[in-house]
Amino acid sequence: MTSISLSGITKRFPGVVANDDVTLTVEEGTVHALLGENGAGKTTLMNVLYGLYEPDEGTVSVDGVDRDFDSPRDAIDAGIGMIHQHFMLVDPMTVAENVVLGNEPRKWGGLRVDRDAARDAVEDLCDRYGFDVDPDARIEDVSVGVQQRVEILKALYRGADVLILDEPTAVLTPQEVEDLFDVLGELTAEGKTIIFITHKLGEALHAADDVTVLRDGKNVGSLPAADATREELAELMVGREVLLDVDVDAGTPGDPVLDVADLTVTDGDGIDRVADVSMTVRSGEVYGIAGVDGNGQAELVEAITGLRVPDSGVVTFDGEDVTRASRRRHIDAGMAYVPEDRHERGLVMDFDLVANGILGSQRDPEFATGGRIDWRRSREHATDIVDTYDVRPGNADANAASLSGGNQQKFIVGREFERDPDLVVVTHPTRGVDIGSTEFIRERLLELRDDGAAVLLVSSKLDEVTSLSDRLAVMYEGTFMDEVDPDDVTEEELGLLMAGQRPEGR
Amino acid sequence: MSEDARWRSALDRLVDASVKERMVISVAALVLAVAVGFVIVVLAGLAASCAQKVTILGVQTPSCYDPFAVYSELFLGAIGHPERVLLGTGTWTPFDFRVASTLQSTTLLVFTGLAVAVSFRAGMFNIGVQGQMVLGGLGAALATIYVGKAVPGGILGAVVLVPVGIAAGALAGGLWGALPGALKAYADANEVITTIMLNFVAANLAYVVVSTWFTPADSSLVQTAIIPAAAQIPNLPFGFDPRNNFSLLGLLFAVALVVGIAYLLARTAFGYDLRTSGEQPEAAAYGGVDEKRTMVASMGISGALGGIAGAVLVMMVQGRWLANLPQLGFDGITVSILAGNNPLGVGFAALLFGVLKSGSAAIGFGTDVPPALVDVLRGLIILFVAMPEFFRMLGARVGVGGDVDA
Repeated sequence: MTSISLSGITKRFPGVVANDDVTLTVEEGTVHALLGENGAGKTTLMNVLYGLYEPDEGTVSVDGVDRDFDSPRDAIDAGIGMIHQHFMLVDPMTVAENVVLGNEPRKWGGLRVDRDAARDAVEDLCDRYGFDVDPDARIEDVSVGVQQRVEILKALYRGADVLILDEPTAVLTPQEVEDLFDVLGELTAEGKTIIFITHKLGEALHAADDVTVLRDGKNVGSLPAADATREELAELMVGREVLLDVDVDAGTPGDPVLDVADLTVTDGDGIDRVADVSMTVRSGEVYGIAGVDGNGQAELVEAITGLRVPDSGVVTFDGEDVTRASRRRHIDAGMAYVPEDRHERGLVMDFDLVANGILGSQRDPEFATGGRIDWRRSREHATDIVDTYDVRPGNADANAASLSGGNQQKFIVGREFERDPDLVVVTHPTRGVDIGSTEFIRERLLELRDDGAAVLLVSSKLDEVTSLSDRLAVMYEGTFMDEVDPDDVTEEELGLLMAGQRPEGR
Repeated sequence: MSEDARWRSALDRLVDASVKERMVISVAALVLAVAVGFVIVVLAGLAASCAQKVTILGVQTPSCYDPFAVYSELFLGAIGHPERVLLGTGTWTPFDFRVASTLQSTTLLVFTGLAVAVSFRAGMFNIGVQGQMVLGGLGAALATIYVGKAVPGGILGAVVLVPVGIAAGALAGGLWGALPGALKAYADANEVITTIMLNFVAANLAYVVVSTWFTPADSSLVQTAIIPAAAQIPNLPFGFDPRNNFSLLGLLFAVALVVGIAYLLARTAFGYDLRTSGEQPEAAAYGGVDEKRTMVASMGISGALGGIAGAVLVMMVQGRWLANLPQLGFDGITVSILAGNNPLGVGFAALLFGVLKSGSAAIGFGTDVPPALVDVLRGLIILFVAMPEFFRMLGARVGVGGDVDA
């Protein structure tokens, strides 16, 4: 039976057609993946279904009844729930309190929140769908995976029969992703309908019953996941053949560029986030660091790039001790850095791309003479990055905030790669980036390496670190478990190392 | 569209408004404030008692106050009624004392408005401009009195003393402003709290210093001696009556600072660092900005501008330092918000403030409307003009606007 039917949906924004005559049918009790590159119109389409946007044309029908949602409230009443990419939870409150927030069970004639009833309701939901969530835990104390489950509980508590998840795996570790897919299975077994937005082929194939691919705001194909192949979906997404595995030649390592000796970084609570890490990165090679996010990679990178002073140890860059040097000196010495967090760090969201293009180079003689910024030169620079790295829309005067995540990333990568650096520290360079751009970024990274730059690559994508790296370290709880040759390590061995176990015979 | 979405989209449009649109919005807000004020004036006039009820547009009304007269005084009275020349009912020169009074307030508010704007753009809220102004004024008074003993009077003296006074004011205010900057950078002390407290410290410190050492023996007030005549900002390039305590040179200096600060923020590497720190401290750190130094430096510049306000107040208006200086430092906050923290906007906002200030005085002379009602009309205009900017800043902070996310 058809649960959701969107027909002929068109949604226009100034200058953009985000959805162009999209028709989508979702069967009850199935998982439907909405697949597409960044900016393909996936989220817009779901926002239309959730009542956040009013479509310019087209109709929405739920369970065979035409609907006209004025707000998410109407959509919720019709049994639709949406879990956004960024969770909307209140950190100091408990799981149960968050779930019932806005629809609290009441007692004393509505004067008091009935906490026990709330707790019981949440526990019932957990039992029914097999969620392992403690209703009394505070949100700030639970993992991101659990927080996501709380969001799902919230939607279920409000009576949702259809759940929309926007990029649900973006924030999860591989293990949590598996758990999430199990949860989705339980939900569909109970008759719920799931739509999830993703740009990851593998997830769509693995977890969905049906896949719909959007490209440039159009539905370019809906098909059962069982009949689809990776290549077919990739082609639908980008509209051309894509090489899924870059054929990578090995680098030719030269002199050491970065040397890290016995580096230890302690957090505010006195816990070692990085413990006694040593490594050497040479020119002309890619040194990869694999590991589950949150095992000290971020702190290690901050200590290397000058954003944080380590507690002990020595960082040597181009033969110079930079352990305590300012961030400015790191930049001036020729260290480029693609940060993990592009919204907070990599870009000033309210600045246009011209101003963002000189972030870090604002005192470089190339852009500033005598303390005065040459905006004409800066504009040319930003335009070059936009052209070379195919940043869309191709307008250097656009605000950074107006770009989609993938395009923001392309711009940052472009800015950092064009510094002509001796060392590039790259963290999650292709996170949130579509296939076409991923390929391009990886190729540029290897070009930089071949031009003699040293590359330090931190990524949680195993295929990325193994295919690009010449040497690969696996980080677990602040230490390097092992340094392996990416060409002859198996995925199982890496998995064990990332989980803190040493494989036999190593 | 739902109520919520409607609000959001309205806020969206506001945040994304172009400079031209924002100016249109401001003018529209001004017109609306006048329209609302019109009604209030008429209604208030119903409650008042008077010998003769007014006739509005040829219609006899039961109200005592004529809104046309009130607003004509507020806007035209503020510049001495130039329209009377056209109507043939009076004379007018551009050097009218009301023009001088309007421009005097404008000049001083440009300095304090700029001071607040600089701190805002650096992501800090300098509420201590008043204190910086008090000490800047004192610095200027003492420096000119002291140096004045060693230099001759006349033009030569002015060439030395005026810059000395301004520099002393900037230095005193700048150091006083850099203090909360340093406290924030190195001790993580919230600058809102410290600047408020330092206002009291500055006022009382100056009071004690002046009453103990610098009050002339024959004075019953706490004040310094009169600064040397050569230190009074000269009435150049041409003329307002010296009794009006306004010099075009002072205004030109204010305009030069508006351009200078705009240039500093938009065109220099330091301005880039400052704005980046204000917008996104994390990105600034990533971009190699020395946050602590930038904090101290921007608060220092902000304080120096406040100090200059004090120096000009002493050297152009009062001729000496007096306890209880006018609250220009606090008006600077409103001016800056009105201007969206944009230096060029500060010029216009300060002019609006200046007009409202001397226009209010004109209403007092020209009509029977009570001062309290005039304050209401003034407040209405400020509220109406400031609110769109306020919501724009608020909207930008909560992160609406600018998204074509799909």
